[in-house]
Formats: sequence, structure tokens, C-alpha cells
Amino acid sequence: MSLLSISARPNRITCWALSWFLFAAGICLYFYTAQKRHKENPDDRVVPTMAQLGAGIYQAAMNPDADEEPSADAAGQSTLERFRNGMLWKDTVASSRRFLFGVALLLPAVLLGLHMGLFPYFGVFFLRFILFFDKIIALSVLPILFIAFGIDELSKVMLIVIGVTPTIILDTFNLTKGVPPEQLVKGFTLGARDFDVAYRVVLKQIWPRVLNSIRLNLKPLMLFLFAGEMIASTDGLAYRIALMRRHMGMNIIIPYVLWVALLLFLVDLTMRLLNKRLHPWFREA
Amino acid sequence: MKVRCAFLYSLALFVLAAAWSPLPAQKPAFTVGWSVYVGWNPYYYMAKSGIMKKWADKYGITIKVQRFDYAPSLEAFVAKNIEACAMTNMEALDMPAAAGVDTTAIIVGDYSNGNDAVLTRNGVTFKDLPGKKLLLVEKTVSQYLFERGMAMNGMESQIKKVHLVNTSDSDIAAAFMTDTSHEAVVTWKPLVSQISKLPGVTNIFNSSQIPGEILDLMVVRTDVLNRPDGSGQKFAKALAGAWYETMGLMSAKGPGTDKVLAAIAEGSQDSLQSYKEQLSTTHMLFTPQAALQLATSPEMKQKMTLVKQFCFTHGLLGENTKSIDEVAIRFPDASIQGKADRVRLRFETAYMQAASEGKL
Repeated sequence: MSLLSISARPNRITCWALSWFLFAAGICLYFYTAQKRHKENPDDRVVPTMAQLGAGIYQAAMNPDADEEPSADAAGQSTLERFRNGMLWKDTVASSRRFLFGVALLLPAVLLGLHMGLFPYFGVFFLRFILFFDKIIALSVLPILFIAFGIDELSKVMLIVIGVTPTIILDTFNLTKGVPPEQLVKGFTLGARDFDVAYRVVLKQIWPRVLNSIRLNLKPLMLFLFAGEMIASTDGLAYRIALMRRHMGMNIIIPYVLWVALLLFLVDLTMRLLNKRLHPWFREA
Repeated sequence: MKVRCAFLYSLALFVLAAAWSPLPAQKPAFTVGWSVYVGWNPYYYMAKSGIMKKWADKYGITIKVQRFDYAPSLEAFVAKNIEACAMTNMEALDMPAAAGVDTTAIIVGDYSNGNDAVLTRNGVTFKDLPGKKLLLVEKTVSQYLFERGMAMNGMESQIKKVHLVNTSDSDIAAAFMTDTSHEAVVTWKPLVSQISKLPGVTNIFNSSQIPGEILDLMVVRTDVLNRPDGSGQKFAKALAGAWYETMGLMSAKGPGTDKVLAAIAEGSQDSLQSYKEQLSTTHMLFTPQAALQLATSPEMKQKMTLVKQFCFTHGLLGENTKSIDEVAIRFPDASIQGKADRVRLRFETAYMQAASEGKL
């Protein structure tokens, strides 16, 4: 039974084959279902075939939104121009902008967590409230958010902030608490002042873990972004998916979902590599 | 080890026993999907009061009535998880019909006669809308109503200049009521009633100005109707029978009527008063005769053409549908709008006819 043994050592080819097996099985199953459903109903839109998906991808990438006013010289545009006017690109830009705002607003959260962990007055002032706030399901108090932030861009970014920042604050707080107090004492005896200790001793060594925590929270962040875009919006990746759902445009939804997955994967990978490059001494996760 | 083996054996035996236990002679079973709407709440009452069961028993079948959210009910119908579903004529065209699921409308239940409305604040009219933001659920009857309103006010060429904000129907009332920077919204009741109560909000256009264009139907998959064992036919007859019995109770002039209406209102946690208010802007076709008259009228074809044209211009019939005729409609007089070999939506009056003659 070496297959099930802990000390089994599969060779490289086996590793490669096994790790791709579920992908292959999933794809095969999908196209088998698609083919079967299309045999029954040639107009099926629930499980689009390869050709339909291809047409969907082309349409999403190259054609502008049908409800937009057509630009004057749509015929004379180059491929690149058409792509940049296409709905996929425009949606990606709109969602990315919100995403980046959301991530940027996590930085103050990190600083707050750090200060809460180090400075007792900060800690007692904020901790209890943030512990409570963390448990509030932001999506269930939407009308209040609408009053405070309207229903335009601001409310979507704020939904991300309310949803994700408490986690980051509390995580940074815990990481800060985890730094051995001896190091603080040593810093002070070597003549450091409060802010030297905070930023050059503590922040510096928790930073890779904080980056990691942000990286792991990208998916909740994306969920809040999508929820925001589905509630009310005029563009964005989730806006398009919500619209397409209205008439079963699965041939566009599936490419969109895969595209979002790819983008998230790339962001995740970049952050991981960056973390490794910036902190070669950090050997976790 | 022994204990575990014994456990596994007993589990296996249990599974086998469950699989082998003789099944009772199965009656054909059907599921009807409905979602909360003034004209569809009666399905809730039909299930609860036992009227549906009575008719199902009469035809020797089982009918399950299940409540969905609207969009999921359509998805379940297209995915063939349910046999029948309550939907509007527009969604019947752009969801099942456009996805190649041959669909038959067996009951025309009502039409929206003010339930859907364009509401504005600060006295904004259609002339002022270009350049402004408009909250609505895009690609639904809301957008249809808005475009018809623009067209009827001579603003057809300006439609694309209005910035549509796709807003989820679960949040649209809160969004419009709390964010006063948005001046126009299109939605339906009961949200319309809530929003109308705000001071300074006017109803500038509603579905009573386009009567009979937004129809609420009960549709069945055509392949279910045509099942060789005839059970699909029985299902349709039972549905029609139960529906018109309930309609009779709803429209009866008597002391019991309010009780029935209150029980129907329960389906959407509405009060009797609120439900009656919604009924006042819904043209219910209480009798099969009234439904028949509407379904067979010549205007019906014109109105379906308008709806189909809307679906086609907005890509709702599918991006690959090159011509409006590729999703064809068959009307009760057997005339076909579109290509004869691509009929996807049928209006079948046989069951309403049978109900009107008391032959169910």
C-alpha cells in the first residue's frame, strides 16, 4: 500500500499528471455535458459549447456594450483600439480601480492595528469597538450605507472597507502583540524613541506577515466588491455578470468568471513573489 | 476493527434495503415555480388551501408548488428542473424561448395596469431625463416600460443618453429613497407604493398607459405537455382548474372574499390592505372568458411584436440570434410570427377554453 503511505515519493511525471488530473476531468465533464445538452436542444444557453464560448469571448473582448452610444468610427478602429473600447477591458478597468482603492485603504488599517497593539491608550480606545464592528454583516445594513455614502463609487469602496478592514486591524494587532517584549526593551535601552520602536522594530518584522494576511483577504475583498457592483452600478465585472444572468448569457459569464480567477491568481502570485523578494529572511507560508 | 466492519456492513445493508424497498406505484409528479408578485400569490393560496391538491388528485397526479426568487425560478425552468413556472411574456421570450426551450403559455393570468412605474423627484419629466441617472433593474420589464415611455413622449432618439444604473430589486427602494442625488427610478409594486409615499415623488409613467403589454403568464414546457402518457395534459388541466377556482374565490362578492385575499396576501407577508392596493393596479383576468378574449385579440400580436423587438434590440434573444424571426411565436389562431420551424413560444388557449366551458 505505498500509494497511501506517508513516506510515498511519487516521481515527477506522476506528480505532474496527478496535479492536472482534476482539471482535465472537469473540462472533459463540462464539454461532455455541453455536447449532450446541445444534442437535445441546439439552442441551449446554460452550458455553452466551445464555439459559443469562443464567440462569447470575442464579443466580450472586441465589442462595446450594445446599450452604449456607438462611437463615431467603429469600423475604422484597429484591433487594439477595439479591445480598449470593448466591454471586457472597460469592465476590468472599472473594477480594478475600485479594487485598488479598497486595497489602498487597508494601509491605514495596518497602521491602526500596529498602534493599537503598542500604545495602550490607543488599544483600549479602539479594541472593544472594532471587535464589535468586525462582527457586523455589512451587507445587511445597506440602507444605512446608502444614506451615508450614496450609491455611487464611494459606497462600493466603503463596503470593502467595512467588510475587510476590521479583520486586517485585528490581525495586525495580534501580530504586534506577538512581538517579544524583550525586543522593545532592548530597543529602548539602545536609545530608540517610541516611534522608532513602532516603525523600525515592530512594523518591520511583522510587515511580511501583514502582507500575507492582506493577500489571504483578497478574496473576501473581491466578494464585497462584487456584492457592491451587483447592488447598483453602471460598469464593472460583476455588473456584466449580473446583466448576463438576466438572459442566461453563460457564454459570456463563464469567460468572465475565468478571467476574474486569472486576475486574482496573478495578484496573489505577485504579492507572494514581492513578499519573498522584499523579505528574503521570512520563511513562512 | 471488528466494530468498524460491523458498522460498514450495517451501513451497506441499510443502503441496499433503502434501494430495494418496493416503491409505491408512483403518480406522475410535477413542480410549479412561482415568485412573489400580486398576480402570482394565488399559487401560494392554491397550495395552502388544498385546492391544488384537490385538482391534482382529480387527474391522478401530484403537483408541488414551490416559491422561488424570480430570477432563480426562470433559471430552474430553463434548466428543466421544474415543469411549469409563472413569468411575464417578456421573460418567457428571452429566457426559455431564446434558450431553445419550447414553452407554452397555458394561462394568461393578468396584465400590469399600473404596477410598474417610472417615478421621479423634483418634478423631473421625460424631457429632462437625458444625461441623468436612472435606477432600474436593467433588461427587464422596467427597462421596457422606460423605453416605451420615452417613445410615447417623443424622446425615442434620446434613450441612449439616459445613464442606466443597474440596481438590484432587493435594494432599489432603499437606494432611491435614501440617496436623493438620484432623480429617477423605474420599479414595480409593492416598491412603487413605498417610494410614492415620499414627498415630492411623482409617477410620470406607468404600465396602465400600455395596457396588455406586460402580461403575467403560467407557462409549461411544451415537451411536458406532449408527454406520450398524457400526464402533461392532465397537469395543465389541473393547473387551469385550480387557477380558475381560486380566481372565482378572489372575485366573489361576499363576506368570505376578504378572508381569501388576506390568505393570498400572506404569500408575500403583505397586509390585506396592501394587497388590495396592489390588485387595484393589476388587471386580473378573473374569468377564463376574459383571458380568452385577451389572448385571442388581434392587439395581442402587435403587443408581442413590441416586446419581441425590445428583446431583440437589447440582445436578450442571444448574441447569435441574427434575426428577430429566429425566435418565433405561435398564437392561438395558429398563425406564426417568425420562422415556422423555430417556434419557441406558444399561446395555448385549450385549457382556458375548457375552463370557460366548465369541462375541466
